Amino acid sequence: MPDVLSRLAALQPLRAVGLVAALALLVLTGCATQPPASDADAVAEYRETNDPIEPTNRVFYAVNNGLDTVIIRPLATAYRYVLPQPVRNGVHNVLSNLGNPVQLFNDMLEAKPRRAGDTMMRLLVNTTVGVGGIFDVATDWGWPAHDSDGGMTLALWGLPDGPYLFLPILGPSGPRDATGFGIDYGLSPTTYIGRGPTVDALGYARTGLGALDARSAVLDDLDKITSQALDPYATIRSLYRQHRQSQIDDAVADNRATVPAWFPAPPAASTASGARIP
Amino acid sequence: MIVSQGPSLFTMSKNATFVPTLSRRACLAAGGAAVLTAVAMPHKAIAETALEPATAFIDKTAQSLMAAVNGSSPGAAKAAALEKIVEENVDIEAVARFCLGRFWRAATPAQQKDYLELFHRVLVSNITGRVGEYQGVTIVTNRGVAREDGVAVTTTVTRPNNAPNRVDWLVANETGQLRVIDVIAEGTSLRLTQRNDYMSFLSRNNNSVQALIDALRQQAAAPK
Repeated sequence: MPDVLSRLAALQPLRAVGLVAALALLVLTGCATQPPASDADAVAEYRETNDPIEPTNRVFYAVNNGLDTVIIRPLATAYRYVLPQPVRNGVHNVLSNLGNPVQLFNDMLEAKPRRAGDTMMRLLVNTTVGVGGIFDVATDWGWPAHDSDGGMTLALWGLPDGPYLFLPILGPSGPRDATGFGIDYGLSPTTYIGRGPTVDALGYARTGLGALDARSAVLDDLDKITSQALDPYATIRSLYRQHRQSQIDDAVADNRATVPAWFPAPPAASTASGARIP
Repeated sequence: MIVSQGPSLFTMSKNATFVPTLSRRACLAAGGAAVLTAVAMPHKAIAETALEPATAFIDKTAQSLMAAVNGSSPGAAKAAALEKIVEENVDIEAVARFCLGRFWRAATPAQQKDYLELFHRVLVSNITGRVGEYQGVTIVTNRGVAREDGVAVTTTVTRPNNAPNRVDWLVANETGQLRVIDVIAEGTSLRLTQRNDYMSFLSRNNNSVQALIDALRQQAAAPK
Protein backbone atom coordinates (compact mmCIF):
# COMPACT_ATOMS: atom_id res chain seq x y z
CA MET A 1 0.00 0.00 0.00
CA PRO A 2 2.69 2.61 0.87
CA ASP A 3 4.30 1.69 -2.43
CA VAL A 4 1.11 2.48 -4.31
CA LEU A 5 0.76 5.75 -2.46
CA SER A 6 4.31 6.83 -3.19
CA ARG A 7 3.76 6.05 -6.84
CA LEU A 8 0.63 8.11 -6.76
CA ALA A 9 2.52 10.92 -5.10
CA ALA A 10 5.05 10.80 -7.90
CA LEU A 11 2.26 11.80 -10.24
CA GLN A 12 1.39 15.42 -10.35
CA PRO A 13 -0.01 16.16 -6.90
CA LEU A 14 -3.53 17.30 -7.78
CA ARG A 15 -4.05 14.28 -9.96
CA ALA A 16 -2.83 12.00 -7.18
CA VAL A 17 -5.30 13.52 -4.74
CA GLY A 18 -8.00 13.06 -7.35
CA LEU A 19 -7.18 9.39 -7.80
CA VAL A 20 -7.06 8.64 -4.08
CA ALA A 21 -10.35 10.39 -3.57
CA ALA A 22 -11.87 8.59 -6.53
CA LEU A 23 -11.00 5.33 -4.83
CA ALA A 24 -12.58 6.61 -1.65
CA LEU A 25 -15.65 7.46 -3.69
CA LEU A 26 -16.05 3.83 -4.64
CA VAL A 27 -15.99 2.88 -0.98
CA LEU A 28 -18.35 5.58 0.23
CA THR A 29 -20.88 5.26 -2.55
CA GLY A 30 -24.31 6.44 -1.54
CA CYS A 31 -27.13 5.89 -3.99
CA ALA A 32 -29.92 8.10 -5.15
CA THR A 33 -33.39 6.78 -4.41
CA GLN A 34 -35.01 5.54 -7.55
CA PRO A 35 -38.59 6.77 -7.97
CA PRO A 36 -41.37 4.12 -7.83
CA ALA A 37 -42.06 2.35 -11.14
CA SER A 38 -45.67 3.59 -11.05
CA ASP A 39 -44.53 7.17 -11.70
CA ALA A 40 -43.43 6.84 -15.34
CA ASP A 41 -42.45 10.49 -15.78
CA ALA A 42 -40.30 10.47 -12.68
CA VAL A 43 -38.60 7.24 -13.75
CA ALA A 44 -37.88 8.70 -17.21
CA GLU A 45 -36.41 11.76 -15.55
CA TYR A 46 -34.28 9.63 -13.23
CA ARG A 47 -32.88 7.76 -16.23
CA GLU A 48 -32.33 10.97 -18.15
CA THR A 49 -30.42 12.53 -15.28
CA ASN A 50 -28.27 9.37 -15.08
CA ASP A 51 -26.76 10.33 -11.75
CA PRO A 52 -27.23 7.18 -9.61
CA ILE A 53 -24.69 8.19 -6.96
CA GLU A 54 -25.97 11.74 -6.71
CA PRO A 55 -25.71 11.96 -2.89
CA THR A 56 -22.01 11.04 -3.02
CA ASN A 57 -21.45 13.38 -5.95
CA ARG A 58 -23.06 16.18 -3.99
CA VAL A 59 -20.68 15.58 -1.08
CA PHE A 60 -17.68 15.97 -3.36
CA TYR A 61 -19.30 18.95 -5.00
CA ALA A 62 -19.58 20.57 -1.58
CA VAL A 63 -15.95 19.68 -0.75
CA ASN A 64 -14.75 21.14 -4.04
CA ASN A 65 -16.82 24.23 -3.47
CA GLY A 66 -15.22 24.67 -0.05
CA LEU A 67 -11.72 24.31 -1.49
CA ASP A 68 -12.66 26.69 -4.26
CA THR A 69 -13.98 29.33 -1.89
CA VAL A 70 -10.96 29.33 0.42
CA ILE A 71 -8.10 28.57 -1.98
CA ILE A 72 -8.67 28.39 -5.71
CA ARG A 73 -11.06 31.26 -6.29
CA PRO A 74 -9.05 33.82 -4.26
CA LEU A 75 -5.86 32.75 -6.04
CA ALA A 76 -7.52 32.96 -9.45
CA THR A 77 -8.91 36.38 -8.57
CA ALA A 78 -5.46 37.56 -7.51
CA TYR A 79 -3.96 36.05 -10.67
CA ARG A 80 -6.39 37.98 -12.83
CA TYR A 81 -5.86 41.14 -10.78
CA VAL A 82 -2.05 41.07 -10.80
CA LEU A 83 -1.29 39.97 -14.35
CA PRO A 84 -2.47 42.00 -17.35
CA GLN A 85 -4.57 40.31 -20.00
CA PRO A 86 -1.73 39.92 -22.59
CA VAL A 87 0.43 38.07 -20.04
CA ARG A 88 -2.45 35.78 -19.06
CA ASN A 89 -3.09 35.14 -22.76
CA GLY A 90 0.56 34.19 -23.16
CA VAL A 91 0.39 31.79 -20.21
CA HIS A 92 -2.76 30.26 -21.62
CA ASN A 93 -1.12 29.85 -25.03
CA VAL A 94 1.99 28.20 -23.57
CA LEU A 95 -0.15 25.76 -21.56
CA SER A 96 -2.30 24.81 -24.51
CA ASN A 97 0.80 24.42 -26.69
CA LEU A 98 2.19 21.98 -24.10
CA GLY A 99 -1.02 20.02 -24.52
CA ASN A 100 -0.67 19.78 -28.28
CA PRO A 101 1.22 16.43 -28.38
CA VAL A 102 -1.58 14.71 -26.44
CA GLN A 103 -4.14 16.42 -28.64
CA LEU A 104 -2.29 15.25 -31.75
CA PHE A 105 -2.43 11.64 -30.54
CA ASN A 106 -6.13 11.98 -29.88
CA ASP A 107 -6.84 13.58 -33.26
CA MET A 108 -5.15 10.61 -34.88
CA LEU A 109 -6.96 8.08 -32.69
CA GLU A 110 -10.20 9.82 -33.63
CA ALA A 111 -9.30 9.30 -37.32
CA LYS A 112 -9.52 13.03 -38.01
CA PRO A 113 -6.53 13.71 -40.30
CA ARG A 114 -7.26 17.39 -40.89
CA ARG A 115 -7.60 18.00 -37.18
CA ALA A 116 -4.33 16.16 -36.61
CA GLY A 117 -2.74 18.35 -39.30
CA ASP A 118 -4.03 21.49 -37.60
CA THR A 119 -2.63 20.37 -34.26
CA MET A 120 0.71 19.38 -35.81
CA MET A 121 1.08 22.77 -37.49
CA ARG A 122 -0.01 24.56 -34.32
CA LEU A 123 2.69 22.72 -32.37
CA LEU A 124 5.39 23.45 -34.96
CA VAL A 125 4.47 27.06 -35.72
CA ASN A 126 3.63 28.21 -32.21
CA THR A 127 6.68 26.55 -30.65
CA THR A 128 9.03 28.25 -33.12
CA VAL A 129 7.53 31.44 -34.58
CA GLY A 130 5.28 31.81 -31.53
CA VAL A 131 8.33 31.80 -29.20
CA GLY A 132 7.77 28.63 -27.20
CA GLY A 133 4.02 28.88 -27.56
CA ILE A 134 3.58 32.35 -26.03
CA PHE A 135 1.98 33.72 -29.19
CA ASP A 136 -0.73 31.85 -31.05
CA VAL A 137 0.50 32.60 -34.58
CA ALA A 138 -0.99 29.43 -36.03
CA THR A 139 -4.60 30.58 -35.64
CA ASP A 140 -3.90 33.62 -37.83
CA TRP A 141 -2.13 31.43 -40.33
CA GLY A 142 -5.15 29.19 -40.81
CA TRP A 143 -4.64 26.43 -38.24
CA PRO A 144 -7.24 27.24 -35.58
CA ALA A 145 -7.46 25.47 -32.22
CA HIS A 146 -10.04 22.79 -31.52
CA ASP A 147 -10.86 20.51 -28.59
CA SER A 148 -9.64 16.94 -28.51
CA ASP A 149 -8.96 14.65 -25.57
CA GLY A 150 -9.12 11.05 -24.44
CA GLY A 151 -12.78 11.24 -23.40
CA MET A 152 -13.74 12.56 -26.84
CA THR A 153 -11.71 9.83 -28.52
CA LEU A 154 -13.58 7.16 -26.56
CA ALA A 155 -16.87 8.87 -27.46
CA LEU A 156 -15.99 8.78 -31.15
CA TRP A 157 -15.20 5.11 -30.75
CA GLY A 158 -18.80 4.65 -29.62
CA LEU A 159 -18.47 4.61 -25.83
CA PRO A 160 -21.41 6.21 -23.98
CA ASP A 161 -20.65 8.79 -21.30
CA GLY A 162 -22.09 6.70 -18.48
CA PRO A 163 -23.36 7.89 -15.10
CA TYR A 164 -22.35 11.30 -13.84
CA LEU A 165 -19.37 11.52 -11.52
CA PHE A 166 -18.29 14.57 -9.63
CA LEU A 167 -14.64 13.93 -8.83
CA PRO A 168 -12.73 15.68 -6.06
CA ILE A 169 -10.47 18.45 -7.45
CA LEU A 170 -11.15 17.39 -11.05
CA GLY A 171 -14.86 18.23 -10.91
CA PRO A 172 -17.57 17.06 -13.31
CA SER A 173 -16.79 13.81 -15.12
CA GLY A 174 -18.00 10.30 -15.81
CA PRO A 175 -16.48 6.85 -16.38
CA ARG A 176 -15.70 7.63 -20.01
CA ASP A 177 -14.17 11.04 -19.43
CA ALA A 178 -12.28 9.90 -16.33
CA THR A 179 -10.81 7.03 -18.37
CA GLY A 180 -9.97 9.51 -21.11
CA PHE A 181 -8.18 11.63 -18.53
CA GLY A 182 -6.03 8.62 -17.65
CA ILE A 183 -5.36 7.92 -21.33
CA ASP A 184 -4.21 11.50 -21.82
CA TYR A 185 -1.85 11.15 -18.89
CA GLY A 186 -0.40 8.03 -20.49
CA LEU A 187 -0.12 9.71 -23.88
CA SER A 188 1.64 12.78 -22.58
CA PRO A 189 5.37 12.83 -23.39
CA THR A 190 5.99 14.76 -20.17
CA THR A 191 4.90 11.68 -18.22
CA TYR A 192 8.00 9.88 -19.43
CA ILE A 193 10.73 12.48 -19.07
CA GLY A 194 13.11 11.89 -16.17
CA ARG A 195 12.45 12.58 -12.53
CA GLY A 196 14.33 15.16 -10.55
CA PRO A 197 13.82 18.38 -8.64
CA THR A 198 13.71 20.53 -11.79
CA VAL A 199 11.30 18.28 -13.65
CA ASP A 200 9.08 18.03 -10.57
CA ALA A 201 9.09 21.78 -10.08
CA LEU A 202 8.17 22.35 -13.72
CA GLY A 203 5.39 19.78 -13.39
CA TYR A 204 3.99 21.52 -10.29
CA ALA A 205 4.25 24.89 -12.00
CA ARG A 206 2.38 23.60 -15.02
CA THR A 207 -0.39 22.04 -12.93
CA GLY A 208 -0.70 25.12 -10.73
CA LEU A 209 -0.72 27.57 -13.62
CA GLY A 210 -3.18 25.34 -15.45
CA ALA A 211 -5.58 25.48 -12.51
CA LEU A 212 -5.20 29.28 -12.23
CA ASP A 213 -5.62 29.75 -15.96
CA ALA A 214 -8.73 27.57 -16.13
CA ARG A 215 -10.32 29.00 -12.98
CA SER A 216 -9.62 32.66 -13.78
CA ALA A 217 -11.22 32.23 -17.21
CA VAL A 218 -14.57 31.29 -15.65
CA LEU A 219 -14.57 33.55 -12.58
CA ASP A 220 -17.55 35.65 -13.66
CA ASP A 221 -19.47 32.85 -15.31
CA LEU A 222 -19.23 30.51 -12.34
CA ASP A 223 -20.22 33.29 -9.96
CA LYS A 224 -23.27 33.90 -12.11
CA ILE A 225 -24.20 30.23 -12.14
CA THR A 226 -23.97 29.87 -8.39
CA SER A 227 -25.96 33.04 -7.78
CA GLN A 228 -28.66 32.52 -10.42
CA ALA A 229 -29.26 28.77 -10.29
CA LEU A 230 -31.72 27.27 -7.82
CA ASP A 231 -29.56 24.13 -7.77
CA PRO A 232 -26.01 24.95 -8.93
CA TYR A 233 -25.00 21.27 -8.73
CA ALA A 234 -27.67 20.28 -11.27
CA THR A 235 -26.91 23.30 -13.45
CA ILE A 236 -23.22 22.43 -13.62
CA ARG A 237 -24.11 18.81 -14.38
CA SER A 238 -26.30 19.94 -17.25
CA LEU A 239 -23.74 22.42 -18.59
CA TYR A 240 -20.93 19.89 -18.39
CA ARG A 241 -22.84 17.27 -20.34
CA GLN A 242 -24.05 19.69 -22.99
CA HIS A 243 -20.57 21.11 -23.38
CA ARG A 244 -19.00 17.68 -23.80
CA GLN A 245 -21.66 16.68 -26.29
CA SER A 246 -21.08 19.82 -28.33
CA GLN A 247 -17.31 19.15 -28.40
CA ILE A 248 -18.01 15.60 -29.59
CA ASP A 249 -20.55 16.81 -32.17
CA ASP A 250 -17.99 19.25 -33.55
CA ALA A 251 -15.40 16.49 -33.90
CA VAL A 252 -17.89 14.14 -35.58
CA ALA A 253 -19.00 16.87 -38.00
CA ASP A 254 -15.43 17.83 -38.95
CA ASN A 255 -14.99 15.78 -42.11
CA ARG A 256 -12.84 18.14 -44.13
CA ALA A 257 -11.19 16.54 -47.13
CA THR A 258 -7.60 15.45 -46.82
CA VAL A 259 -6.72 16.29 -50.43
CA PRO A 260 -4.35 19.28 -50.42
CA ALA A 261 -5.57 22.43 -52.16
CA TRP A 262 -2.92 22.17 -54.91
CA PHE A 263 -3.66 18.52 -55.77
CA PRO A 264 -5.30 18.20 -59.22
CA ALA A 265 -8.43 16.45 -57.99
CA PRO A 266 -11.27 15.65 -60.42
CA PRO A 267 -13.63 18.67 -60.49
CA ALA A 268 -16.73 16.81 -59.31
CA ALA A 269 -14.98 15.23 -56.35
CA SER A 270 -13.28 18.46 -55.38
CA THR A 271 -16.50 20.48 -55.23
CA ALA A 272 -18.26 17.75 -53.31
CA SER A 273 -15.49 17.53 -50.76
CA GLY A 274 -15.03 21.27 -50.57
CA ALA A 275 -11.35 21.23 -51.52
CA ARG A 276 -10.03 24.48 -52.89
CA ILE A 277 -8.52 24.70 -56.34
CA PRO A 278 -6.17 27.63 -56.97
CA MET B 1 -17.93 5.50 -40.93
CA ILE B 2 -17.24 7.56 -37.85
CA VAL B 3 -20.43 9.48 -38.43
CA SER B 4 -22.40 6.28 -38.39
CA GLN B 5 -21.04 5.59 -34.93
CA GLY B 6 -22.62 8.77 -33.64
CA PRO B 7 -26.21 7.66 -33.21
CA SER B 8 -25.13 4.36 -31.70
CA LEU B 9 -23.53 6.42 -28.98
CA PHE B 10 -26.95 7.61 -28.06
CA THR B 11 -28.86 4.42 -28.41
CA MET B 12 -26.37 2.87 -26.06
CA SER B 13 -26.66 5.77 -23.69
CA LYS B 14 -29.63 5.71 -21.37
CA ASN B 15 -29.37 9.44 -21.09
CA ALA B 16 -32.32 11.10 -22.70
CA THR B 17 -30.90 14.56 -22.00
CA PHE B 18 -29.15 14.21 -25.33
CA VAL B 19 -32.21 13.41 -27.36
CA PRO B 20 -32.53 16.97 -28.71
CA THR B 21 -28.85 16.93 -29.65
CA LEU B 22 -29.27 13.61 -31.38
CA SER B 23 -32.13 14.98 -33.44
CA ARG B 24 -30.09 18.02 -34.32
CA ARG B 25 -27.21 15.94 -35.52
CA ALA B 26 -29.54 13.66 -37.44
CA CYS B 27 -30.97 16.76 -39.07
CA LEU B 28 -27.56 18.08 -40.04
CA ALA B 29 -26.52 14.77 -41.50
CA ALA B 30 -29.71 14.19 -43.42
CA GLY B 31 -29.68 17.62 -44.99
CA GLY B 32 -32.42 20.20 -45.23
CA ALA B 33 -34.71 18.47 -47.69
CA ALA B 34 -34.73 15.16 -45.88
CA VAL B 35 -35.42 16.94 -42.63
CA LEU B 36 -38.48 18.64 -44.09
CA THR B 37 -39.96 15.35 -45.24
CA ALA B 38 -39.03 13.51 -42.08
CA VAL B 39 -40.25 15.89 -39.44
CA ALA B 40 -42.64 18.32 -41.10
CA MET B 41 -45.69 16.24 -40.23
CA PRO B 42 -45.37 16.05 -36.45
CA HIS B 43 -43.73 19.47 -36.16
CA LYS B 44 -45.45 22.22 -38.05
CA ALA B 45 -42.92 24.81 -36.86
CA ILE B 46 -40.52 24.09 -39.71
CA ALA B 47 -43.06 24.46 -42.49
CA GLU B 48 -44.13 27.77 -41.04
CA THR B 49 -40.69 29.06 -40.21
CA ALA B 50 -38.63 29.25 -43.35
CA LEU B 51 -34.90 29.67 -43.05
CA GLU B 52 -34.63 33.06 -44.68
CA PRO B 53 -37.13 35.06 -42.59
CA ALA B 54 -35.67 33.53 -39.42
CA THR B 55 -32.15 34.55 -40.42
CA ALA B 56 -33.32 38.05 -41.31
CA PHE B 57 -35.18 38.27 -38.00
CA ILE B 58 -32.08 37.34 -36.00
CA ASP B 59 -29.95 39.73 -38.02
CA LYS B 60 -32.37 42.56 -37.27
CA THR B 61 -32.54 41.61 -33.57
CA ALA B 62 -28.74 41.43 -33.42
CA GLN B 63 -28.46 44.91 -34.95
CA SER B 64 -30.85 46.38 -32.38
CA LEU B 65 -29.03 44.50 -29.57
CA MET B 66 -25.69 45.97 -30.62
CA ALA B 67 -27.21 49.44 -30.98
CA ALA B 68 -28.72 49.16 -27.49
CA VAL B 69 -25.65 47.97 -25.59
CA ASN B 70 -22.87 49.76 -27.48
CA GLY B 71 -24.28 53.27 -27.28
CA SER B 72 -23.00 56.01 -25.00
CA SER B 73 -26.18 56.23 -22.90
CA PRO B 74 -25.98 55.45 -19.15
CA GLY B 75 -26.37 51.89 -17.85
CA ALA B 76 -29.99 52.26 -16.76
CA ALA B 77 -31.07 53.49 -20.20
CA LYS B 78 -29.22 50.61 -21.83
CA ALA B 79 -30.90 48.12 -19.51
CA ALA B 80 -34.30 49.57 -20.41
CA ALA B 81 -33.55 49.34 -24.14
CA LEU B 82 -32.35 45.77 -23.70
CA GLU B 83 -35.48 44.86 -21.76
CA LYS B 84 -37.64 46.22 -24.59
CA ILE B 85 -35.75 44.08 -27.12
CA VAL B 86 -36.14 40.98 -24.98
CA GLU B 87 -39.88 41.60 -24.51
CA GLU B 88 -40.41 42.09 -28.23
CA ASN B 89 -38.27 39.30 -29.61
CA VAL B 90 -38.29 36.46 -27.09
CA ASP B 91 -41.29 34.15 -26.64
CA ILE B 92 -40.86 34.22 -22.87
CA GLU B 93 -44.02 32.21 -22.21
CA ALA B 94 -42.86 29.37 -24.47
CA VAL B 95 -39.47 29.33 -22.73
CA ALA B 96 -41.14 29.35 -19.33
CA ARG B 97 -43.39 26.41 -20.22
CA PHE B 98 -40.46 24.46 -21.61
CA CYS B 99 -38.49 25.04 -18.41
CA LEU B 100 -41.30 23.73 -16.21
CA GLY B 101 -41.54 20.57 -18.34
CA ARG B 102 -44.00 17.95 -17.11
CA PHE B 103 -44.89 20.05 -14.08
CA TRP B 104 -46.65 22.64 -16.23
CA ARG B 105 -49.66 20.32 -16.46
CA ALA B 106 -49.46 19.51 -12.75
CA ALA B 107 -49.65 23.17 -11.78
CA THR B 108 -52.97 24.85 -10.97
CA PRO B 109 -54.03 27.76 -13.24
CA ALA B 110 -53.16 30.19 -10.45
CA GLN B 111 -49.72 28.62 -10.08
CA GLN B 112 -49.19 28.76 -13.85
CA LYS B 113 -49.98 32.46 -13.81
CA ASP B 114 -47.66 33.15 -10.85
CA TYR B 115 -44.93 31.07 -12.40
CA LEU B 116 -45.12 32.82 -15.79
CA GLU B 117 -45.00 36.24 -14.20
CA LEU B 118 -42.05 35.40 -11.95
CA PHE B 119 -40.16 33.59 -14.69
CA HIS B 120 -40.58 36.65 -16.86
CA ARG B 121 -39.21 38.98 -14.17
CA VAL B 122 -36.26 36.75 -13.28
CA LEU B 123 -35.30 36.20 -16.92
CA VAL B 124 -35.43 39.88 -17.80
CA SER B 125 -33.49 40.94 -14.72
CA ASN B 126 -30.86 38.24 -15.32
CA ILE B 127 -30.32 39.56 -18.84
CA THR B 128 -30.45 43.26 -18.14
CA GLY B 129 -28.34 42.85 -14.99
CA ARG B 130 -25.40 41.91 -17.21
CA VAL B 131 -25.75 44.82 -19.61
CA GLY B 132 -22.35 46.25 -18.62
CA GLU B 133 -20.61 43.09 -19.82
CA TYR B 134 -22.00 43.39 -23.32
CA GLN B 135 -20.15 46.65 -24.01
CA GLY B 136 -18.27 46.43 -27.31
CA VAL B 137 -19.98 43.24 -28.45
CA THR B 138 -20.26 42.44 -32.14
CA ILE B 139 -22.69 39.88 -33.55
CA VAL B 140 -22.31 38.48 -37.06
CA THR B 141 -25.26 36.48 -38.36
CA ASN B 142 -24.30 33.44 -40.37
CA ARG B 143 -26.95 31.02 -41.56
CA GLY B 144 -30.05 29.19 -40.44
CA VAL B 145 -30.45 25.44 -40.09
CA ALA B 146 -33.83 23.72 -39.78
CA ARG B 147 -34.43 21.83 -36.56
CA GLU B 148 -37.50 19.92 -35.50
CA ASP B 149 -38.46 22.66 -33.06
CA GLY B 150 -37.71 25.67 -35.27
CA VAL B 151 -34.81 27.25 -37.10
CA ALA B 152 -31.42 27.57 -35.44
CA VAL B 153 -29.68 30.72 -36.70
CA THR B 154 -25.94 30.63 -36.11
CA THR B 155 -24.14 33.82 -35.11
CA THR B 156 -20.59 34.65 -34.12
CA VAL B 157 -20.50 36.80 -31.02
CA THR B 158 -17.26 38.60 -30.21
CA ARG B 159 -16.60 40.48 -27.01
CA PRO B 160 -13.45 42.54 -26.43
CA ASN B 161 -10.58 40.39 -25.07
CA ASN B 162 -12.53 37.21 -25.67
CA ALA B 163 -12.30 34.54 -28.34
CA PRO B 164 -15.28 34.62 -30.72
CA ASN B 165 -18.17 32.49 -29.49
CA ARG B 166 -20.65 30.54 -31.53
CA VAL B 167 -24.18 31.38 -30.45
CA ASP B 168 -27.22 29.76 -32.05
CA TRP B 169 -30.63 31.38 -31.73
CA LEU B 170 -33.57 29.02 -31.97
CA VAL B 171 -36.46 30.75 -33.72
CA ALA B 172 -40.08 29.57 -33.86
CA ASN B 173 -43.36 31.25 -34.74
CA GLU B 174 -45.91 29.54 -32.54
CA THR B 175 -47.54 32.86 -31.73
CA GLY B 176 -47.79 33.82 -35.41
CA GLN B 177 -44.69 35.98 -35.17
CA LEU B 178 -41.04 35.00 -35.25
CA ARG B 179 -39.71 34.75 -31.73
CA VAL B 180 -36.54 33.46 -30.08
CA ILE B 181 -37.28 30.38 -27.97
CA ASP B 182 -33.74 29.34 -27.05
CA VAL B 183 -30.18 30.61 -27.07
CA ILE B 184 -27.49 27.97 -27.51
CA ALA B 185 -24.08 29.34 -26.51
CA GLU B 186 -21.16 27.14 -27.57
CA GLY B 187 -23.44 24.12 -27.65
CA THR B 188 -25.13 24.72 -24.32
CA SER B 189 -28.82 25.45 -24.47
CA LEU B 190 -29.95 28.05 -21.97
CA ARG B 191 -33.50 26.74 -21.72
CA LEU B 192 -32.37 23.12 -21.31
CA THR B 193 -29.92 24.14 -18.58
CA GLN B 194 -32.67 26.11 -16.88
CA ARG B 195 -35.09 23.18 -17.13
CA ASN B 196 -32.55 20.80 -15.61
CA ASP B 197 -32.03 23.29 -12.79
CA TYR B 198 -35.77 23.50 -12.08
CA MET B 199 -36.30 19.73 -12.41
CA SER B 200 -33.57 19.04 -9.89
CA PHE B 201 -34.92 21.68 -7.53
CA LEU B 202 -38.41 20.17 -7.80
CA SER B 203 -37.22 16.61 -7.18
CA ARG B 204 -35.47 17.81 -4.02
CA ASN B 205 -38.58 19.66 -2.88
CA ASN B 206 -41.21 16.90 -3.10
CA ASN B 207 -42.10 17.91 -6.67
CA SER B 208 -43.87 20.94 -5.27
CA VAL B 209 -44.47 23.60 -7.91
CA GLN B 210 -45.34 25.99 -5.08
CA ALA B 211 -41.83 25.58 -3.64
CA LEU B 212 -40.39 26.52 -7.03
CA ILE B 213 -42.65 29.56 -7.26
CA ASP B 214 -41.56 30.64 -3.76
CA ALA B 215 -37.91 30.26 -4.71
CA LEU B 216 -38.45 32.28 -7.89
CA ARG B 217 -40.22 34.95 -5.86
CA GLN B 218 -37.12 35.22 -3.68
CA GLN B 219 -34.92 35.47 -6.76
CA ALA B 220 -37.12 38.16 -8.26
CA ALA B 221 -37.02 40.16 -5.03
CA ALA B 222 -33.25 39.79 -4.52
CA PRO B 223 -31.23 42.89 -5.40
CA LYS B 224 -29.10 42.39 -8.49
